[in-house]
Amino acid sequence: MSAVEYLDLLIKALLLAGVYAAMAVGMTVVYGVMKIVNLAHAGFLMLGAYFSFELFNRFHIDPVLGAVIALPVFFLFGMLVHWVLVRWLPKSDTPTLASLLLMFGFLLVLQNVGYAVWGNDDQSIFTPLTLSAVHLGDEISIPKVNLVVFAAAVFCMVVLQIVFHRSWFGRSMRALIQNPYAAQIVGVDDQRTSRLTFGLGTAFAGFAGALLGMLYSFSPDFGRPFLLRSFVIIVLGGLESVSGVALGAIVLAILETFSTVIPLPWYWHGWHTSYLPPSYQPVVPFVLLVLVLVIMPKGLAGMFNRKWKTA
Amino acid sequence: MAPFCSTSHQCAGFFVNSGPLSAVGRRLLKGELMRTHRNFASTSCYRTILLVLLLLAGTALYSAPAAAAVADDTITIGVVLPTTGSESKPGQYQKEGIELAIKQINDAGGIMVKSKGKKYKINEIFYDDSTDSKKSASLVERAMSSDNAIAVLGGYSTALGTAESVMADRYKTPWITTGAGATAIFGKGYQYAFGSLSPVALIGTTSAEFLGSLVDQGKLKKGLKVAMVVENTDHGTDYVNGFNEWTSKHKGYFDVVMNEKFELGATDFSSILQKVKNSHADIFLSDAHLPDYITMQRQYLQNGLHHQMISYGARGPEVNARQALGAGTDYIFAGIWWSNKLPYPQAKKFATDYKAFTGHDVDSWYAAPAYDAMRILAQAIEKAGSLDKTAIRDALKKAELKDSVLPGQKLKFSANGQAEYPFVITQNKPDNKVDIVYPKDAATGDPVAPIPNR
Repeated sequence: MSAVEYLDLLIKALLLAGVYAAMAVGMTVVYGVMKIVNLAHAGFLMLGAYFSFELFNRFHIDPVLGAVIALPVFFLFGMLVHWVLVRWLPKSDTPTLASLLLMFGFLLVLQNVGYAVWGNDDQSIFTPLTLSAVHLGDEISIPKVNLVVFAAAVFCMVVLQIVFHRSWFGRSMRALIQNPYAAQIVGVDDQRTSRLTFGLGTAFAGFAGALLGMLYSFSPDFGRPFLLRSFVIIVLGGLESVSGVALGAIVLAILETFSTVIPLPWYWHGWHTSYLPPSYQPVVPFVLLVLVLVIMPKGLAGMFNRKWKTA
Repeated sequence: MAPFCSTSHQCAGFFVNSGPLSAVGRRLLKGELMRTHRNFASTSCYRTILLVLLLLAGTALYSAPAAAAVADDTITIGVVLPTTGSESKPGQYQKEGIELAIKQINDAGGIMVKSKGKKYKINEIFYDDSTDSKKSASLVERAMSSDNAIAVLGGYSTALGTAESVMADRYKTPWITTGAGATAIFGKGYQYAFGSLSPVALIGTTSAEFLGSLVDQGKLKKGLKVAMVVENTDHGTDYVNGFNEWTSKHKGYFDVVMNEKFELGATDFSSILQKVKNSHADIFLSDAHLPDYITMQRQYLQNGLHHQMISYGARGPEVNARQALGAGTDYIFAGIWWSNKLPYPQAKKFATDYKAFTGHDVDSWYAAPAYDAMRILAQAIEKAGSLDKTAIRDALKKAELKDSVLPGQKLKFSANGQAEYPFVITQNKPDNKVDIVYPKDAATGDPVAPIPNR
C-alpha cells in the first residue's frame, strides 16, 4: 500500500473515531457520575435513529436537524426514565448487579416497544449526502455523512467539556465523580445532579442514534453491536473522562482499521509477517479491553494524568 | 405485644421503645432503624419494578402457543422461527408462507391418513425463537417432546438451523429447515433432518455459471480477476466453495485474486475495501446478510469503487436495500431461491394467494421455500398413510412435489436430506426494476454487463 492509501485509511479511521465517540460519550457521563453501566444505552441509540427516521419520513426534516431536535427530547425522556426507574437504585461507588439488571431489562422493553411500533424491517435514511464523498485526488475519498457525524461528535465533546468546567451543574458532576460523599457534605444535591446527568447521557445517546441512522441501516435490535465498543472506549478513556472518550475512540478506530492492513510480525521457526484476517477484526476491541484492564486500569487518560503529575 | 409488626414503623417502635436504652440512644436507634426501613422500602420498590420490567420483557420476548390442545381430528405441526431479533423479517415471511400452506390444506379438508381412515386438519404450534440459537434449539425440543408434534418446520438462517438440527434425530421427529442452506447441517448423517433450501454452494456455482455465460456471449472478457469478500459463516464458506468448484472445472474463465472474510454486523469496511481496490479485480463478489450488504455497498460507493460486475450473494433486490441506497443498488446481481417474476403459473398463483392472505406483496424469496416445505410435508404424511414419525420420515425421503413454486418446478430431497433445485439470478435495473437474467428459460430481461460506471 502507498503512503497516500495509508493516509486515506487514517482519515477514515478518524472519521470512524467520531462515530465511536458520539455513541460512547453519553454512556461515559452516566457511568462517571452514577456508576451505572447503562445497558439501555443501546436502546436509546435505537430510539434516536427511529426518531430521526420519523421526522425525516413524516415531516421531511433533515436528519442532522432531526439529531439536534433529539437532544432536548431525549434529555426530557432521560429525566423521566431516571424519575420512574433509576432513582430507586441503591447508591453505590461501584456498578451494582441491580443496576445492570435494571438497565438490561429496560433495554429489552425498549427493543420490544420498537418491534411493536416499527416492526422488524431494516430501515435507513437516504439523503443526497448518503452516497456522496469529497474526493482528494484519485486515492483519497472522504464520505460527507461521516464528516457530518465527526463534526457533530466534536461539537458534543466540546459542549460537554464546557458544561463540565464552566457551569454549576458541571462542577456538581465532577464533584460527584471525584467523591460522592464529600460532594453531598458540601451541599451538592446528588439526586438532582444524577437526574440531570441521566438526562444528558440519554440526550447524547439519542443524538448519536439519530446520526448513526444516517450511516447504518437499523432495526429495533440496533445499537447492541456498538455497546461493546462503548465499553472499550470508556475503559480505554479512563471511565470518567470526556477527553478520555475522544482518545479511546481514536485508539480503537485506528487499531481496528489498521490491524488488517499492517503486517504483524510473529515467530515460528524464525520471524514471519502476516495480516490479521478481517474476520478477526472484532477481536481487536476484546483484546484491547483485557489489556487496558490489566495494564492500565485507569485508562489512557489516567496514565497521562499520572505522568503529568509526576512531571 | 403483637407477634408480627404490620408495618416496619411498628417494628422499629417495638424494638426501640421496649429495650433498655437511654432516651438519646432510643432516638438515635429509632432514626437509624427508620433510615434502614426507608432503604428497605426503596429496595423493595426497586425489586418490584425490576420484577415487573423483567416480566414485561419476558412476556414480549416469549411467544407462547395460542393453544396447545389438540383435538382428535388434528395433527400437530411445530413451527419455530424468529419473528423478533435480527432475523425477524425473513422469519416472519417464512411463518406467513407456512401458514398460507396450512390454511390451503385445511380449507381443502385436511390431510388424508389411510390407517386412520379419515382426514386430519393441521394444528400449528408456533414459537418465536427471538433469533437466539439456544432458545431455538430448546423450542424445537419442546415442540417435539412436550407438544408431541409429528414434525417441526423452521430454522431461518444457518446459525439457528444448525442449532435446531440436532433435535430431529434425538426425538426421531422429522424436521424441515426452511431457511438454513449451508451444507454443513446435512453432512452429519442425520436421518430425520431435511431442508427446503437448495445448498448455498449452488449460489456460488450458479453465479459463476452466469458470469461464464456472459463471457461466452462476449459481454465479458475471459480471464477476469475476481475479488471475493464473504461473511465469516458456513453460508459465506459454501458460497466461495461453490464458485471455486465451477472455476476449477472451467479453467481460464476467472482468476480469484482475493478471498477474505468479514464478521457479521461489522461497522466499518474501509480496510477490506482498500484491499479490494488494491487487488485490481474486475469483478467484486460478496456474500452478506442484509445489514452488512447495505453498509458495505454504501462504503463501496463512497470510496468510488467500480467493477464490471458486482454481487452480494443472495442479497440484491431487497426493497429495504433499495430504499437505503437508491440507485446505488442498480445492476447488482443476486442468486436467489425464488423470485416473484418466475413465469410458472403456480408461482404466480402463490404470489396472488400470499397477497390475499397477508395483505402485502411477496417481495422476497423467503416465503416460497417455507410454503413448499409445508406442502411437501403434507404430501409425505398422506403418502405414509399413518401418523408414525418414522413412516413420515421415510415418505419425505421419497416425496416429490411436482407443482413446486420453486425454480425447476420440482421439490425433492437428495440423499442427505437437502433439497437441490436451480437458483435464479436476478439483476437490479434502474427505477427499482428487477429482472431475472439467468437461466434463459426463466429470464424476464437481458443482463447488463459490464455494468456502467456511476
